[in-house]
Amino acid sequence: MLTLAEGARTRVAEAMTSPRTYVYAGVVGAITAVFVALGLKQALVLGAIGGSAYGLLALGLVLVYKSSGVFNFAQAEFGTVAVYFLYIFKGVLPYPLALLGALVVAIVMGLLVERLIVRPLFDAPRVTLLVATAGVALAAIGLEFWLGEPKLRSITPLFSRGDRLAILGQRISDQQIFLVVTLLALGVLLALFFSRTNLGLAILGASQEPVATELVGISVRRLSSFTWGLAALLGGIAGVLFVPISGTFGPGAMTSAVLIPAFTAAVLGGMSSLPGAFLGGAIVGVAQAAAISYDGFKSVPGKGSVVVFLLLVVVLAVRPQGLLGSKA
Amino acid sequence: MSSLHDAEVAAERQAAQVDEEVLAKAKAEAHQPAFTPSPGGWAARGLVVFVLAAIVLWWPLHRPMSDVRLFADAAIFAIIGLSLNVLLGYTGQISLGHQAFVGIGSFTSAYLVTVQKLPFVVAIAFAMAIGGLQALILGGVALRVRGLYFALITLSYGTLASDSLFGIAAFTGGGQGQPAPLPSFADTPYRYYYFCLVVLAAVIWVDYRMIKTKGGRALLALRENPRVAATFGINVRAYTLYAFIVAGVLAGLGGALLAHRREIVQAQDYDFRLALIFVIMTVVGGLRSRVGVVIGSAFFALLPYIIEKVHLETVFRILSDHTPLPFLSKEVAALVLGPLLLLLTLTLNPGGIGQQIRPLTRWLGGRRFDFHDRGEKEVQISDVRA
Amino acid sequence: MSVLETRGCSIRFGGVQAARDVSIRIGEWEIVGIIGPNGAGKTTTFNMITGFYTPNEGQVFFKGVDITPLPVHERTALGMGRTFQNVGLVKGSTVRENLKTAQHLRAGYGVVAGMVGLPQTFRTETELAERSDLLLDILGLGDLADTRVAGLPYGVLKRVEVATVLATDPDVLLLDEPSSGMGPEEAHRLGDTLLDLRREFGISIAMIEHHVPLVVRVCDYVYCLNFGELLAEGKPEEVRNHPEVVRAYLGEDPEDVVA
Repeated sequence: MLTLAEGARTRVAEAMTSPRTYVYAGVVGAITAVFVALGLKQALVLGAIGGSAYGLLALGLVLVYKSSGVFNFAQAEFGTVAVYFLYIFKGVLPYPLALLGALVVAIVMGLLVERLIVRPLFDAPRVTLLVATAGVALAAIGLEFWLGEPKLRSITPLFSRGDRLAILGQRISDQQIFLVVTLLALGVLLALFFSRTNLGLAILGASQEPVATELVGISVRRLSSFTWGLAALLGGIAGVLFVPISGTFGPGAMTSAVLIPAFTAAVLGGMSSLPGAFLGGAIVGVAQAAAISYDGFKSVPGKGSVVVFLLLVVVLAVRPQGLLGSKA
Repeated sequence: MSSLHDAEVAAERQAAQVDEEVLAKAKAEAHQPAFTPSPGGWAARGLVVFVLAAIVLWWPLHRPMSDVRLFADAAIFAIIGLSLNVLLGYTGQISLGHQAFVGIGSFTSAYLVTVQKLPFVVAIAFAMAIGGLQALILGGVALRVRGLYFALITLSYGTLASDSLFGIAAFTGGGQGQPAPLPSFADTPYRYYYFCLVVLAAVIWVDYRMIKTKGGRALLALRENPRVAATFGINVRAYTLYAFIVAGVLAGLGGALLAHRREIVQAQDYDFRLALIFVIMTVVGGLRSRVGVVIGSAFFALLPYIIEKVHLETVFRILSDHTPLPFLSKEVAALVLGPLLLLLTLTLNPGGIGQQIRPLTRWLGGRRFDFHDRGEKEVQISDVRA
Repeated sequence: MSVLETRGCSIRFGGVQAARDVSIRIGEWEIVGIIGPNGAGKTTTFNMITGFYTPNEGQVFFKGVDITPLPVHERTALGMGRTFQNVGLVKGSTVRENLKTAQHLRAGYGVVAGMVGLPQTFRTETELAERSDLLLDILGLGDLADTRVAGLPYGVLKRVEVATVLATDPDVLLLDEPSSGMGPEEAHRLGDTLLDLRREFGISIAMIEHHVPLVVRVCDYVYCLNFGELLAEGKPEEVRNHPEVVRAYLGEDPEDVVA
C-alpha cells in the first residue's frame, strides 16, 4: 500500500511538470468557455456526468482488450444483469448489501463467460470471439426478456438527495457525484495496479507474449479469469450506479444506452489506454449532451447516436491510434 | 523472440512429417477412377431431391395464408443470410449493423412504391442500388480499419440508422409506418412466396458463380491472409469494398422483399437485436456453406412457427405452471434459444449446420455417402510473417 | 542492366534499426542469395522490395523504374513474385484453386460478369485451370491438384508455393527460405528446379537461404546481412569464407556454417 501511495505521488509530480498537462488543461478551459458562450453550460456538466458512465464501462473494455485483444460486446450486459439483481436483492436486503450482492453476481457472470466461452475459443480468430461476446450479450438480453419480462421497472438510487450541489447552474444529485468519484478512484487504482504491481504487469505481459509469460511461470489462464472478473466488476459498477440515475430500466438497458458510446470512448482514448478511456468518456458524453441540447439540431432525430457515430468515424479516419494511444 | 519463432518453425516441420501419410493418400486417390453412383443410386438421389422440392414448392400451396407468409420470410431471411455470409464468411469482416442495410432497403422500396408511385420492380432496383451505395460510402470510411474496428463502425452505424434515419417521418411514414403493398404480379401471399423463391434461387446462383470466379477467390484469399492475397496481385482494399457492396446490394434486396411481405414497414422492427439475429443465423447455419446458411436463416425465420408446431409452447406453459419461471412465449424463445445455439455452435461445432449435413449434400451431388466426411476443420488463420 | 535494385534502403521500427543503407541488385538471368543470421534484416529487405514496408530512406527500382511508393499488388502486376517464410498459400483451398487465385490478374473478365455467369467467364476459368495444371506438372505436383493445402507436408507446400508464384507471371522471384522443411535430397531437387526455371522462363531469382550447399550451387552472387546492414557481398565462395561472415555466424550459431 505504501508503494501505491508513493507511486501516486510520483505520478502526480510527473504530471505537474509535463507540458502536456498544461496543454490539456488549456484545451479543457477553452472548450468550457465555448460551451458557456453558446449557452450549453448545463450540457457540459450533464455530459461530463454521463461521460463518467461511458468511461467506467470503457475501462472494462480497455482492460479486456489490453489483456486478450478482444472487443467485449457483453461488457454492458454485466451492468444490466447487475441492475436486475440489485432490483431483486433490494427487496430483501438493505441497499448497500444488495449493491454488493449485485456486484458479486456480475463478477460470477464474468468468470462464467471466461470459463465457458472465452477459454474454449482461446486460439480462435479474434472476430470469432467478438461474435461470441455479442452472443453472450444477446443471451443475457434474451434471459432478461424471459425472466425479467419485457417491461420497464423502476429503481431508486443509493443516494437519493438531489439538491446538495450545483455546478454552472446545473443541479447534481448525490448519486451523480458518487458515480464521478467512483470512476476517478477506480481509474487511479487501476493505473497504479498496472504500473506498480506484479499481477498488473503480468497481465500486460500476457497480452504481448502469451508463450513467454507461460515460460516464466505465470498462468495465462488464471490471468484471463482475473481480467474477466475485474472487467465484469467494472461493468457491474457502471450499471448499478448509472441506471438508477435515470430511474427505470428494461432488458438490455445498458447495452442500448451505454455500450456504443463506451466503445467510442475507448477508441477515442486509444483502446489500450486507461486514462484515454476517461478522456474519451468525457468527450463522448459532452459532445452528446451538447448535440441534444443545442437548439439548432432540434429537428434532427436520434442526434445522440449521430454524434457518437461521427466521433467514431472521425477518430478512426484521422487518428486510429486514439488520442492517448501509441502508434501500432 | 527469434528463439520462439524457431520453436514454432520446428513444431511446424514436425507436424509436416506426420502429414507424409496425407500426401501418400492424396497421390493414391488422384490415380483412382472417380466414383459414379449406380442407376439405383441416382434414383435414390432423385427421390430425395423430389421430396425436398415437393416440400418447398408444393406443400405451401396447401397451407393457410398465414403460414405461407412465414415461409416467404424464410426465403427472405435466406437472402439476408447469404448477404451476411459474403462479409462474415467469405471476407472475414463482421457486420453488426445489417439491420440498417435491410431496413433502409425496406423503407426505400416502401417509400418509392407508396409515396412516389413507382412500379415495384423499379423500387426494388432502387433499394438494391441504395444498399450498394451506402455500403460504398460506409465501406470507404470503414476500410481504413479492419476486423474489430470495422465491426464497431457497423454497430454504431446500425444504431444511427435505427435512431435517426428511421425517425425521418417523410421517409418512413412516422410512427404508423410506411405501407408497402404486394406487387400486382404477385398479389397473394402464395404468389409472393414463389416470387421470393425465384429471387432466392437467383441469389444462390450469383453467390455460387462468385465463389467459382475471381471475385470470390480474391475474397477467400484476403480473408485468410491479406498479405498473401496482395502478392497474388489482389487489391485488398478494393476487394474488401467489393464484398461490402455485394453484401449491401443483397441486404437491400432482402429488405425490399421483406417490406412488401409485411405490407407495412415500421422502424421498431429494425433494431439492434435483429442485427444480432442475422449474425446468429449465419454462423449457426455455417459460414461459407451456402446450403447451411440458407437452412440456418430459414430456421430462425421459422423458429416461432416451429415452436408452435412442435407444441413447445405447451412445454413452456407446463414449465411456468410448475416452477417459479415465467412463461416463455414463442417470440421471446427465439431471443433465448438463438444466442444459446450460437454459443454452442462457436464452441463445439464451428462449421455449423452446413458441416453437419455435409455427408448428405455431398451424397446428393453424386459422391459416395461418407458419414464421417464433415470437411476439414476451419484453418487457423495465422498471420504469415512477412 | 539490373532487373531489381535497392538503393540505400533503411527502415526503423520504433527504436530498432531493422535495415540500414541496404543496396542490392539483381541482374537479368541472375540468381542472387541473401544470407545472414536470424534477425539480420533479410526478410525486412524483402518486405521493402515487395512493398509491405516503405523504407524511411532509399528507393527500390524495378526494371529501371522507381517503384518505392507502389502498393504490393501493383508490384505483382509489374512482374514481382514472392514466397513467404512460413508458406503464403490459401490454406482452406485446394492446390489448383490456389494457382487460379494467383492468376487473378490474368482473369480478364469483370467481377460482375463472373457473378452473373457470362459464357466468357466459363471459358476463361477453363483456361486458368489448364494453365494451373501445366505449372503443377512442371513442378511435379500434378497429383495434388485437387488436394486441400492444409495438411500437406511442409516441404511440399514450399514447392506448391513456388508453383503458385509462377502462376502470377513473374519476371523476378523472391523466395524466402525456399528449402526450409526439406531434406538434403529435396533441397538438391529444388536447386535443379530453380536452375530450370531460369533456363525455361528467363526468370531472375533472389532468395533468402540458410542451406549453404544450395546457395553455393545455384547462386551467382551472394549478399550477407547482419544487424540490418550489408556485411559482405560477392561470389558465393568468397562470401562464405569472408572473415566477417564467419564471425557473424559463429557469434550466433556455429551450426549454420557447418550445415
